Amino acid sequence: MEGGLLVLGIESTAHTIGFGIASSSGKILANVNYVYRPRDGGIHPREAAQHHSAAAPTGLSEALKEAGISPRDLDGVAFSAGPGMGPCLRVGATVARTLALRLGKPLVAVNHGVAHIEIGRLVTGCRDPVVLYVAGGNTLITAYMDRRYRIFGETLDIAAGNCLDVFGVKTGIGPMPAPEEYARRGEKFHPLPYRVKGMDVSFSGLLTAALRMLKDDVRLEDLCLSITETAYSMLTETLERALAFTEKREILLVGGLARSRRLKEMVDAMARLHGAEVYVIPPEYAGDNGAMIAWTGLLQLMVGQVTPIEQSRVRPRYRIDEAEAVWRERGL
Amino acid sequence: MIRIGAEAVVSKLEWNEFKLVSKHRVPKPYRMPELDKWIRERRTLHEAKIMVDLKKAGVPCPAIILMDRDDSTIYLQFIEGSELKKVLDSFPPKIIESIGRNLGEIVGKMHSSRVAHGDLTTSNIIIDEHGRLYLIDFGLSAVTDDLEELAVDVHLLDRSLESAHYPIRELFMKNFLRGYSSILGREFTLKILEKMKEIRRRGRYVEERRRRS
Repeated sequence: MEGGLLVLGIESTAHTIGFGIASSSGKILANVNYVYRPRDGGIHPREAAQHHSAAAPTGLSEALKEAGISPRDLDGVAFSAGPGMGPCLRVGATVARTLALRLGKPLVAVNHGVAHIEIGRLVTGCRDPVVLYVAGGNTLITAYMDRRYRIFGETLDIAAGNCLDVFGVKTGIGPMPAPEEYARRGEKFHPLPYRVKGMDVSFSGLLTAALRMLKDDVRLEDLCLSITETAYSMLTETLERALAFTEKREILLVGGLARSRRLKEMVDAMARLHGAEVYVIPPEYAGDNGAMIAWTGLLQLMVGQVTPIEQSRVRPRYRIDEAEAVWRERGL
Repeated sequence: MIRIGAEAVVSKLEWNEFKLVSKHRVPKPYRMPELDKWIRERRTLHEAKIMVDLKKAGVPCPAIILMDRDDSTIYLQFIEGSELKKVLDSFPPKIIESIGRNLGEIVGKMHSSRVAHGDLTTSNIIIDEHGRLYLIDFGLSAVTDDLEELAVDVHLLDRSLESAHYPIRELFMKNFLRGYSSILGREFTLKILEKMKEIRRRGRYVEERRRRS
């Protein structure tokens, strides 16, 4: 049994329902996640919510079993308050409120984006990075400054991961990592819309143009090469600008797209120019997961950032810079 | 060397006693060479084209002397003068009023040509010994019909006054808006002000994100 504080974290912003348990010694004791896979195309929020409701009881008991603890050992219950899909978020929030009330333990509302960063800091050991957070639903560049994770750049339309996933699905090869795998057999690069405005990026024009080119008999492998190289270069360039501006020495890649080998390669090459260190979230924590909510909830609990039940409404548009990262001030 | 930005190196040089400024977009080793060359070339062309168009529209900016497309470098007229940022506070109120109004007219003309500067701060404005103003650094500029992009220009200018020239901000901006609306009209200027309020409300470090190039 672990000493110190123990927090249960529940993630349910989109396609994943996850239960994680973290201890104040910095250990993740459990990380149990179930992913809803839509039969076609994107996520249907209500179907996903039904999947989450059905999976929740098993997930919870599996996580407790994995950690070898009973609910009574918990010191707090954290949940992902947003951003995400309302119906999905409400599943996690409802379970969390019920547990917190039943156990008489504090409830902790966690920002999903902040949680991706904090689990990244925990498992990679970096301290004060510029973060590239790239996933199916999110693309942003952020760094801690003056009590919050400030947004230095973001997508002006769709997320980078979404762009590549939709491209893969519409061309019939499937979502990521399929486009990147095909890209390895690509030979010829075709120019596609490269939209960087300051530190902001835009991907919808890239997706449309790439799909249009498909009809012009361009080899699919070449198109995969062109779209992935373009998207990753845009991300790396904006990240470079943020690094130069913030003068930080560390880069952290988090979110589902952090699994990309080619993106990592590019970021490494950029970091060498600036003498910066690159850290990448390991695969088991790259996608949405319960452990990241548990760990961030624990940090919040340690600095007394808890949430009264009556203020625990979910926040589908909860921006990362709306959450105060109080623990960072205390060196956590 | 004058400036090293994230994407370009700006240096001063002399050629037959003629002073020039070169702006070289440096290769990025992390991009595929084809893509890298294409981006640098396209941005160089874009910046040069915007400056040529603005010059025609009567917006004072450095003249383009030469463009080396293969090297993604443009050679510009060197303007003998100072960054407005460094000297603005030292002027008497009457002069500040007239600089404000004059800049308003210049930005008004630029916006009527549908060009948003993208990084309009007092460090990107040069004032020469005759008090003439020049806009520089069009690296983030865009041709646009989006009111927001134009409003961002005025917003960034206002923010740069707020942070670096606080005591004269009001006087300057009041006259700036006079000059601006003399070119674009009262109604359009009010729309810009409305948009600026909205940008400010959203306030998310926009200024920090745009201040470097």
